[in-house]
Amino acid sequence: MKIQLLYGTETGNAEMLCEDIETHLADDHEVALANLNDIDPADLDADTFHLVVCSTYGDGDLPASAQPFADTLETAGTDLSAIRFAIFGLGDSSYETYNQGSEKLAALLVKHGAKQVGDRAIHDAMGSDMAEDLALPWADDRIAQAADLFAET
Amino acid sequence: MPKIAIVGAGPSGCYVAQALLKLDKTLEVDILDRLPVPYGLVRYGVAPDHQGTKAVSRQFARLFERQGVRFIGNVTLGETVTLDELRAAYDVVVLALGLSKDRELDLPGRDLAGITGAGAVTRHWNDHPDEAAQVPHLGNRVVIVGQGNVAMDVLRILAKQEPDFDGSDLHPRHTDHITGAGVAQIDILGRSPAHEAKFDPVMVKELAKLEHVRFALDGIELSQGHDDDPRVAAVTALPQDVPVASHEVTFRFGWKPERLSGEEGRVSAAYFSRGDEELGLSCDSVITAIGFDSHIPGLRDDLLAQAEDRETGVVDKGLYLAGWFCRGPRGTIPDNRLAAQDLATRIVADLATGQATGQTTGQATGQGGEKPGRAALVATHPDLTDYDGWLRIDAAELAACTDGRVRAKVADLETLLALACAPAPGPATPETDE
Repeated sequence: MKIQLLYGTETGNAEMLCEDIETHLADDHEVALANLNDIDPADLDADTFHLVVCSTYGDGDLPASAQPFADTLETAGTDLSAIRFAIFGLGDSSYETYNQGSEKLAALLVKHGAKQVGDRAIHDAMGSDMAEDLALPWADDRIAQAADLFAET
Repeated sequence: MPKIAIVGAGPSGCYVAQALLKLDKTLEVDILDRLPVPYGLVRYGVAPDHQGTKAVSRQFARLFERQGVRFIGNVTLGETVTLDELRAAYDVVVLALGLSKDRELDLPGRDLAGITGAGAVTRHWNDHPDEAAQVPHLGNRVVIVGQGNVAMDVLRILAKQEPDFDGSDLHPRHTDHITGAGVAQIDILGRSPAHEAKFDPVMVKELAKLEHVRFALDGIELSQGHDDDPRVAAVTALPQDVPVASHEVTFRFGWKPERLSGEEGRVSAAYFSRGDEELGLSCDSVITAIGFDSHIPGLRDDLLAQAEDRETGVVDKGLYLAGWFCRGPRGTIPDNRLAAQDLATRIVADLATGQATGQTTGQATGQGGEKPGRAALVATHPDLTDYDGWLRIDAAELAACTDGRVRAKVADLETLLALACAPAPGPATPETDE
């Protein structure tokens, strides 16, 4: 099972978190890292488990680097039914639109058939936890869940 | 190896460093700042109750902690070191000096006491050493001129009560002053109708959470037919029917400021016009939030006039401008990140083609002569500070933190410098062999 880390970012926080996850996983897994901006939905791979980290921006919108991916997915109507993913959201509970970016991206992926592994996990920038303290165990947990699923098929 | 000096350790300067190292991690990058603390507007501009936004500084800390970037504090361009000296010492100089001066409201009465720029107010609340002593006058009735996001920050903080400051780093001396001023009526005015207002809707939605505030709208009818506009939706959703309110906030749209009048040298009324209509508001203070200018306008204007590519920030071989100092006081942190990436791409391309060789006075060009970089600064200025100095300030501020706050910032420059210059007491480290 290969792992593809994908990030949607505005300020770079999601990118940095993805880099941390990559470092954390690199010894034990074959892992690649990409900006959603550089990914075509049609290029997602059924043999790969996708770990997505996505922030929220503006009025609960997708971050800029996830927007072209979402637009292409909507326009092309790509069938993602062979794709498995897990998602981690970055948000700020100061705002009403807390973590809506990752929520929207997850819903969009599922709408196009992608299978979500485990619940969406979220981090609050106003909270006392460091994002990586939540995201590294999240990655390990979702990879373990996904490994079982990939083994079944 | 090319040596790069970035002047200004705010978000734009840090993003330029980050983007440069992403393109070429062997570059030698120094970030200079006039203060002994990094991060510029992230520390001194972003509101103290928006700690989530300030979290971007964790990315910047990595530059210094893992990526080999040096922080050089307590160096003021034009005083400690001239631009020519910097260009002689480094292959590339990037000026990311920001825009720290409030744009003035150019109206009759502007010199009255009780009129303060929003930048000065937010710097005071953020404990910037330049503004530590300048306690803004508030009073019961405050008029805010301008409706951008900085105006929203000022409005929100003025309308908050003590429990609302939990989790912020707004020092209790500020919250005591704000709540003690008895602010009860805030009018916030802008020239635009609501659907063209400059604030981000999410900033207005955040205000709706303040349960003790009653909102009113004036001029919302100017936005008829724009009901779907997120700004109109945000202001019309603000709670207006609040039986018991400690603060009244009125958003007034379409009003052009005309003049200010006062009694005994202190502002007591602000006047506005909207077509043939006139509006006079009695007030105890006026806070202007109408944009920012450079604190060194002459230098900035000269540089922009010389610029080969003003939008990207290319002035000349080896000299670049970044962030607000380049493009003016617009654009959020993410906008400036993208601009920094474009600039870094240009700098690396210029270095590759030998375009960024920064030849200046006395420097033989084309000889491959190594520039001295920070060694030239350190040799002549013993009182520069470094990243470890900032870490000592950081530790002291975190240690001094009181209940309900995440940090107690040091506002006094002498104390900041003393902390930055004095190694923490502890076990003596053995001398290294020379």
